[in-house]
Amino acid sequence: MSKLIEVKNVSLESLTSIRVKDINISINTGDHIALIGKSGSGKTTLLNIINGSLRPTTGEVILNGKDIRNCSDNKRRKIGSLWQDLRLIEELTVGQNINCGALGRHSVGWAIANLFGVIEYQECIKCLNAVGLSNSLVNMNIEKLSSGQRKRVAIARLLRQESDLIVADEPFSNLDPTLITIILKILLREQMNQSLNSAQSCIVSLHRPELIDKFNRVIGLKDGRIVVDSDSLGVSKGEISNLYC
Amino acid sequence: MSQKVKSLTYIAKSLKETNISKVTLTILPILAIIPVFIQCAHGLHIGGISTLISFIFSGLHPSFDKDVVQSSWIGLQITFCFAIISWVISISMGLFLAIFSSYSLTRIIGIPEYITTIIRRILTLPRATHELIWGLLFLQIFGMAPWIAILAIAIPYSALMARVFAEQIDKIDLKSLIALKHIGASKIQVLTTAFIPKLIPIIGNYGSYRFECAIRGATLLGVFGLGGIGTEMQLSILSLKFNEMWTSLWILFFAILLLEKALEYLQKPKFYFRNVGKFSLMCLLVLLILLGTSLIWLNVLGVNLFVPFTIHLFSIPSSTNLLSAITSLPWLKLILETVLLMLLASGIAIGLPPILLMLSQARYRAKALSIFWIFCRLIPTPLTTMLLLLCTNPSISVGALALGIQNMGVLGRLLKQNIDNQDTNIFTGIKATGANSHLAWLYGKMSLQSNSYLTYSLYRTDVILRETIVVGAVGGVGLGWQLKESLSSFAWEEVLLITATFMSITLIGETLSEKLQRRLLNKQGNNAFHT
Repeated sequence: MSKLIEVKNVSLESLTSIRVKDINISINTGDHIALIGKSGSGKTTLLNIINGSLRPTTGEVILNGKDIRNCSDNKRRKIGSLWQDLRLIEELTVGQNINCGALGRHSVGWAIANLFGVIEYQECIKCLNAVGLSNSLVNMNIEKLSSGQRKRVAIARLLRQESDLIVADEPFSNLDPTLITIILKILLREQMNQSLNSAQSCIVSLHRPELIDKFNRVIGLKDGRIVVDSDSLGVSKGEISNLYC
Repeated sequence: MSQKVKSLTYIAKSLKETNISKVTLTILPILAIIPVFIQCAHGLHIGGISTLISFIFSGLHPSFDKDVVQSSWIGLQITFCFAIISWVISISMGLFLAIFSSYSLTRIIGIPEYITTIIRRILTLPRATHELIWGLLFLQIFGMAPWIAILAIAIPYSALMARVFAEQIDKIDLKSLIALKHIGASKIQVLTTAFIPKLIPIIGNYGSYRFECAIRGATLLGVFGLGGIGTEMQLSILSLKFNEMWTSLWILFFAILLLEKALEYLQKPKFYFRNVGKFSLMCLLVLLILLGTSLIWLNVLGVNLFVPFTIHLFSIPSSTNLLSAITSLPWLKLILETVLLMLLASGIAIGLPPILLMLSQARYRAKALSIFWIFCRLIPTPLTTMLLLLCTNPSISVGALALGIQNMGVLGRLLKQNIDNQDTNIFTGIKATGANSHLAWLYGKMSLQSNSYLTYSLYRTDVILRETIVVGAVGGVGLGWQLKESLSSFAWEEVLLITATFMSITLIGETLSEKLQRRLLNKQGNNAFHT
């Protein structure tokens, strides 16, 4: 398995608190990581450091042998992010939002053409169907969708991005069990349309410890430090309950 | 004595501790009408009242004489063409300048923050100078030319639009833009994909509002001889032919009414959300077509924009002349008159709309009030001042009343629009307790709007301050009057000093009003008054 990302001696401290401390992780191709810990333990901070949106005070995140902050836009697109607030563009349609995932591979002309209507329609529909949404939604405005549908559109945009690693921040919050199953299958590449070039690895922050056996690796954070990093089958209930106390 | 001091301290303390509700604050400014009426009544001439009544009744039988209707119709077309051309220029220039005066955009483009700050500071100067000052200055320098009206409107409006666009751009949530950057999109892709769709509604909403202002501006400049329907109205009122003036007013009224309806339709979100790209392209095409048609149409109407002109340059005033101007003019009186004019006019403009709306809840009364507000906005303030001067002596109150009436039209319409768009649950709830409809309106509708109404009123006070120059010039008070006098006598050193003083007062007023607006906005959260 090849190494995708390496987090080396990373710490992020603010004037008043330590948000993460001495983090060392290697993420390899095929890793499906559940990131767990109670609120405020540093999960979102760590994910934001991995996707390059937060700069650590010490240490570095290595992507393809280079610090992620110094990587070109094109290289950074290999890491796809599913943000807690989704960050969809409210003024665009579902299809146009999904196509935004492909901006890193296309020209400015393509971006302008997308504003006039969904281009590469079939590619867009493939991603839309993969998240269980029907073709009829492609020209609908984002603001008309339910929160579950919006989350699925954000995931469809991720699929369109064709990243190598998905960094997802609490993707299962406020979702019903059926939707959780659908999203889990997409993140873990189960029953995935083979023509879709979706990420083979993911790191997902969770607030539901009962889901960790679906992943093949578990990282547990407590007070900004890693206290668990092992195979999901090898994590004991005691270790998990220790994270939440 | 000590007992007196004690009781005064107690009253002051009680007042400080009293949390006057925002609704009360929206109505209290109406008290300004008391000194205004007292002063107007003091100088009243009985003969003038009958003239004023004759003006009002002339509205029922305007002149249908073929020549009058034709000249009003041509005047309207000229005014609309001036307004369209200056408006298109202002939108384009405003947008261009907004790019460099928005902190968010310059950060994305990579321009240092201090350059943005410098550009913002420079733009305050053309913004603080009323279009009338620009118009009168250009008239003195270039002589009579039709493009003066266009330039006089375009300069302050570009700076004003740049400010509003930049402020709105800075309020845009950048998270979706950051997300696109993570997807690997280039800076230009981020701007086109995530920024333009958010920018278009801002331009649509504020730009269309400015169009009506441009029509008012072009009409006003017409009153000062720059052509169009304003000139027609001015000539009619000078010859006391009120029915002819009403012909122009009714034509202008129906044109504005049609325009408002068209803009309301175009601003519907469904129109925009159907396709952002096509909508943006359509807007651009409409602007270009409007610009081209107006330029051609002016030529058809016999108004040649590109007439040759001569520049009458004035020499830079010497320090001796400047010093003599400083000592010869009664500065304190002029400044105080201007500020008092602004305060009284603001009181009328802010305090009357909530009261009138509260008293006009029945459908037919509300309709009549909306029509009344259109007329308030339509009649240029110098003409209202002249009408009032027919029956009373020149005073600050006459100017304040004229200025207050026009701005009441603007504030009243905005307040009604916002109240109509808000949830009626609270109103229904209060009404269910047995409260009469006036009180239920005050508590269930106005109270929800009071904070945002006050915020917008403060912004309007800036506009009123800027407009004091116009009524001052006609009404014989303040810096406006002195500016007109100095311009007529080519006393350039005085013109320079008066313009600089007026700009300084406007900028001080703007800073104070911004601080107060921020305080109100912090308390109200996101419930901003839609402008």
